[in-house]
Amino acid sequence: MKTPLAWKNIVHNKVRTAVGVAGVGFAVILIFMQMGFKGAVRKTATQIYDALDFDLMLRSPAYLHLTEPQSFPRQRVFEAASLPGVAKARPFYLGLSEWQRPQPADAPPGGWQGDWRGIIAMGVDPRDPPFVPTALRRESLRLTDARFVLIDNKSKPEFGPANGVRFGPQDVGVETILGSGRVRIVGVITLGTGLAANGACVANVEGFARACPWQAIDEVNFGLLSLASGVDPATAKREIQSLLGAPTTSSVPSAQPADVEVLTRAEVVEREEYRWVVETPLGQIFNFGVWVALFVGVAIVYQVLSADIANMMSEYATLKAMGYPNRYLAAVVLEQSVLLALVGYEPSLAVSWGLYLLVGGRSGLPMILTWQIAATVLALAVLMCALSGLAALRKLFQADPADLF
Amino acid sequence: MPALKPLPATSGIFTGGQQIPKTIKVSHVNHYFGDGELRKQALHDNRREVKRGEIVIMTGPSGSGKTTLLTLIGTLRTVQEGSLKVLGRELHGASRDQIVELRRELGFIFQAHNLFESLTAYQNVNRAAELAGMDRGLARQRIEMLLTRLGLGQRIHYKPKSLSGGQKQRVAIARGLVHQPKLVLADEPTAALDEQSGREVVTLFQELARDEGCTIVMVTHDNRILDVADRIVNMVDGHIRSDVAVHETSVICEFLRQFPLFADLQTSTLTEVADKMMVEEAEASDVIIRQGDPGELFYLIRSGEVDVVVEEGGRRRKVAELGPGQYFGEAALLRDEPRNATIIARTNCVFYTLGKADFKDVLARSKSFVEELRNVLASRT
Repeated sequence: MKTPLAWKNIVHNKVRTAVGVAGVGFAVILIFMQMGFKGAVRKTATQIYDALDFDLMLRSPAYLHLTEPQSFPRQRVFEAASLPGVAKARPFYLGLSEWQRPQPADAPPGGWQGDWRGIIAMGVDPRDPPFVPTALRRESLRLTDARFVLIDNKSKPEFGPANGVRFGPQDVGVETILGSGRVRIVGVITLGTGLAANGACVANVEGFARACPWQAIDEVNFGLLSLASGVDPATAKREIQSLLGAPTTSSVPSAQPADVEVLTRAEVVEREEYRWVVETPLGQIFNFGVWVALFVGVAIVYQVLSADIANMMSEYATLKAMGYPNRYLAAVVLEQSVLLALVGYEPSLAVSWGLYLLVGGRSGLPMILTWQIAATVLALAVLMCALSGLAALRKLFQADPADLF
Repeated sequence: MPALKPLPATSGIFTGGQQIPKTIKVSHVNHYFGDGELRKQALHDNRREVKRGEIVIMTGPSGSGKTTLLTLIGTLRTVQEGSLKVLGRELHGASRDQIVELRRELGFIFQAHNLFESLTAYQNVNRAAELAGMDRGLARQRIEMLLTRLGLGQRIHYKPKSLSGGQKQRVAIARGLVHQPKLVLADEPTAALDEQSGREVVTLFQELARDEGCTIVMVTHDNRILDVADRIVNMVDGHIRSDVAVHETSVICEFLRQFPLFADLQTSTLTEVADKMMVEEAEASDVIIRQGDPGELFYLIRSGEVDVVVEEGGRRRKVAELGPGQYFGEAALLRDEPRNATIIARTNCVFYTLGKADFKDVLARSKSFVEELRNVLASRT
């Protein structure tokens, strides 16, 4: 075993190493947060889909994203149901409505002017709600009247929970206005809100019609198809698409009215993520944030490494005089930079984990520290330090043993 | 005898017949710093040879080029003009890899210790042993031996922070010696040391030179250690002013002292005389001087034997045999007479010769010295 010079240098100069670790840590935490936000965007974009029970989805080719889904004739859903491979076909309504904050008990009589919030309103058939979570299915059974709604407890406090924090059992029975009519909260569910609205609620189909009166009841937003067991989603998708006609996005002209697009579950999730992470500025901001953090990290680590090299210039020159080749010196500096990355990474991981909990709890964003994020950030940290090390090498190669005598 | 440019007697060219390999051969080396108008020549036509196992001390005022020459020998600078061979390898035009390779056979001791603060004394010294690929056990023994010899036996695993300046310098010396280098280049190695440890360092140098055939070249102004030098090179303004083999010079001085007329000369004067002597070689049966010729040179026999033959009335009579340390040819110079005898080499011989003018000059100085002494003594009464 050769003397581990890089490690000894790291351990020896504690102050400089601390500065380096702080620099690496700062950049790493920044990257973690950006990636956490990006992950949250991705997660948020699909969390309502994750709760829906379907193998194939029908939707308008003009669909933009969850809260701007456009609509298509309900007839298409029943047409799709006619195919033998389709076990169930359920219409699903979703649109943005307005929610008035419920009147607090202590409000002066007649003084409540209303406080309106945009909210996601969903319409389902309570006899067969298209939800996966059993709690959601169970609560949906209560939607026996158009005036009954379930409120999502992930909705922000400004939607007016009785305790001012989040909706709970104490809010059941509270009345307020949704869209064009009065509603009563009959249950509380956990779903998670999207990026376009801070709250969500579920009603039955008639209730949805009251919440979004501009949408005709025979126009639906989604058709949720469950396939019979053993049916290949890709095959079924082709069959249904040919039955309903190719979507208008296709360049091939079709005789059929092309007002419906058929997508598998994977496609739905993928497109929704693409929409939010790539097409909207939101995802770009966080990508950009990662680059900025990386750049800041490179700058800090470069400063630390080059100060370290400058400090040991004559020692490195001595090594050169002894016959150590440049590549050995380069290896020491790169090793040192990678060690700095590894040493800086550990505490940053712990701090970021705490920050994820804190930010996630405060903002309601689903901040999840997945191992993919952890591994990506580790790779970026190593890359960042290696880049700084490479930049600092230039200085190292200037070490001239002829100056030593 | 090949018609070579005569060599000074003190150059140490005479080695008693034994050929010792040369560690360093410097020939016609010029070196310049700067470009264009600012170009300044730092070394002028430097020529030197250093034999294996020699300890060479380089002296001279600062800016005289000794450090430049040292960095050139140490491969730390690129040779611009001339030829420089170190350990049998030509440095002029050598590739980067060849130079890196060669550096591993050299030991450097710099004026500053340049130890890694993050490593212990042992680990710092081990940097050199690791590079040389020494067996770990052997390296351990040698590191411990060197550090103990240098008075750091109790501090082998200390970091530089806990060592004094002199101790750090001694660690750096051990680092320069641990990998059994064939050539050690040192710049003021004892400057930071007290008398006793400085002495220990040079004694160690002498042992390495003797036992391992290690050649040592050092730049120093430390008069306390001049006595270990086999050879002292003095440089002025980029020229090698003198390159003196210390031992050979002392041999010559000892020989000269046997000559009655030189007996009362001071050592410094004798050294000057030695400096002016040239080497001359002869093969067996060569006639060195012939009776009746005008006398031009004073001869000192370094090795070999000669016959002194006098011709009287057509008869040749051998009157004496002379051997190493003895001299001849002085009578003709003293009295400006022709040679009074013929000298014939009995064996292959090496002589050190002194020209007539120099010889008389020395005698004159000897006389003035005696007169001066007389005057001093007289003035006391």
